[in-house]
Amino acid sequence: MSSLSHHPDIPEQASPQQSASTSLWHLLRVWFALGLQSFGGGSATLFMIRRASVEQEHWITEEEFTRYWGLSQVTPGINLLCMTILIGWRVAGPIGVAITLFGLLFPSVSITILLTMLYAQVQQISFVQAALHGVIPSTVGIGLLLIWQTGRPLVVESKARGNAPLAIALLVLLASVLVSLYTSLPVILILCGGGLINGLFLWAYQRWLAQGGQA
Amino acid sequence: MNEIDALVYFFMMLKASFFSTSGTGNVPSLLNDLIPLGWATERQFAESLAVGQISPGPSGLWVISLGYLTYGLPGALMATAAITIPPLTIIGFDKIYQNIKDHPAVQGFVTGLGLAVIGTFSVVLWRIWQSNGVNISSLLIILLAFGLSLTKKIPVIVILIIGGIIGVLLG
Repeated sequence: MSSLSHHPDIPEQASPQQSASTSLWHLLRVWFALGLQSFGGGSATLFMIRRASVEQEHWITEEEFTRYWGLSQVTPGINLLCMTILIGWRVAGPIGVAITLFGLLFPSVSITILLTMLYAQVQQISFVQAALHGVIPSTVGIGLLLIWQTGRPLVVESKARGNAPLAIALLVLLASVLVSLYTSLPVILILCGGGLINGLFLWAYQRWLAQGGQA
Repeated sequence: MNEIDALVYFFMMLKASFFSTSGTGNVPSLLNDLIPLGWATERQFAESLAVGQISPGPSGLWVISLGYLTYGLPGALMATAAITIPPLTIIGFDKIYQNIKDHPAVQGFVTGLGLAVIGTFSVVLWRIWQSNGVNISSLLIILLAFGLSLTKKIPVIVILIIGGIIGVLLG
């Protein structure tokens, strides 16, 4: 915990603005603004969190931001919430977590619910029905981009590890498509199975390399 | 629509969130759990994903919209709780992960999990497409939306509106 919970007004990082920025009210205001303004999805929100916590408030350093983001990628749940929690913890411990989470989520969750309510009110209108026939394929198109953006780094990373890890990675990808398409196996099992197969293979492969195998 | 068991519903949302490492990684698991029970439709998934894209904050908030569409305000609040709990594990996880992150089995697991999410998510997109009717015009809209979002210059809301206008013109 010690590495996480040291307070930002420790001498090495102290600066005139920081005594003000540690006030909880200020913390709430900053995160509330982030939750309210961050239209445009994940990368826009991440950009704003970075600007606020690294450049404007100096809560964390550039390096810490990068490390936190890497960690958020592998922690269960939404990356941005993981990030928010780590920064909140870093600034003011458990109360910091509560404040940053509330600040980020209250405006954005409220707006999401209001938008959905609004949609639920108008969805039966035939004009809206017709529009939906175009909106739904658009979400599929946006989803495809999401697949491309998240999938490509994983494939590139596997390729950098060697041809055999690349082949296994592609196999895991293909198998997860086929299994989910043609069986009723719970998705959780497919996800864990994909992780285990790839993890065990990579482990064995690295051991084999370490014992003098040729990549 | 079948009657929803609140506890099971919440558990399904929590489970889906625990086993995803991104905002939409919970889609396949939820689709797989809720649709066979008659608690949600493919259509509601597509609708809530669209709302999630245009509302502020992480795109992972889409599930709150799904909660509202399938189970009203209690559903939306349960979804909010379900997405908030798993990320809290990061506080303890930081130290542990620093010690094990270089192990090949861990690196491989994280990559494999990500790949399986992509694979199952592509099947989800296929099902959403099917629910809307697979035909030339919807294929063209998909390609158009993909192309427009690839440019990264056009806000998601504009892409959805363009899709909506095409839908109205065709409809």
